[in-house]
Amino acid sequence: MTLRPGRIGIDVVPLSRVHGLIVDGDGAALHRLLSAAELSVSRTPDGLDPSGIAGRLAAKEAVFKLFHAAGQPVPWLATEILKSAGGWPEVRLSGRAARLAELAGIERIDISITHDEAYAIAVAVSAAHIAEL
Amino acid sequence: MASAGIEKVRDWILGRHPERTELAEDVRLLDSRLVDSLSFVELVYVIEDASGAEIDFDSIDLEDFQTVAAIERAFFARGES
Repeated sequence: MTLRPGRIGIDVVPLSRVHGLIVDGDGAALHRLLSAAELSVSRTPDGLDPSGIAGRLAAKEAVFKLFHAAGQPVPWLATEILKSAGGWPEVRLSGRAARLAELAGIERIDISITHDEAYAIAVAVSAAHIAEL
Repeated sequence: MASAGIEKVRDWILGRHPERTELAEDVRLLDSRLVDSLSFVELVYVIEDASGAEIDFDSIDLEDFQTVAAIERAFFARGES
């Protein structure tokens, strides 16, 4: 089976937005955006890492764009951006996000994240197998 | 007369947009990006706090959040005759 190229999604998140989420109230909104596993890998000895969080949020939105799902919010908690054994970011889908990927015919998603100064940018690319005739 | 709860929601949206002094009830909040995908999560939290309702994020109908009037109908009109 051969993988065929699929869709591409991109998103940018200003670090200022993440600073706002961290300091606003009791951080309740942050817990609706990041899973416990993501919050765990976003922590440093100095506290939460705004760059890492901005990158994860950008990646989640970039992945959501692959689904072409209109009329529904981003499945933030069901789209987890974690680290592979090699340190590369990897996507773990569950629940509604996994269902949207299946509906879109997506079998694999690769992402790349970059940060510089005030912004984090993420790109997501999907692929699926070509059925052999 | 608008409820105190929906006014709290309206004030929160206006607080994020200091360039605006008012927000009509039929302005499309999501389409105009007055509320984007990140701030949508905060908006849901503000509505829950103001209304006492618990909102299931996975069964949300975005039309209930498109305007201040829609938010009021969906979350602040219960029990009124």
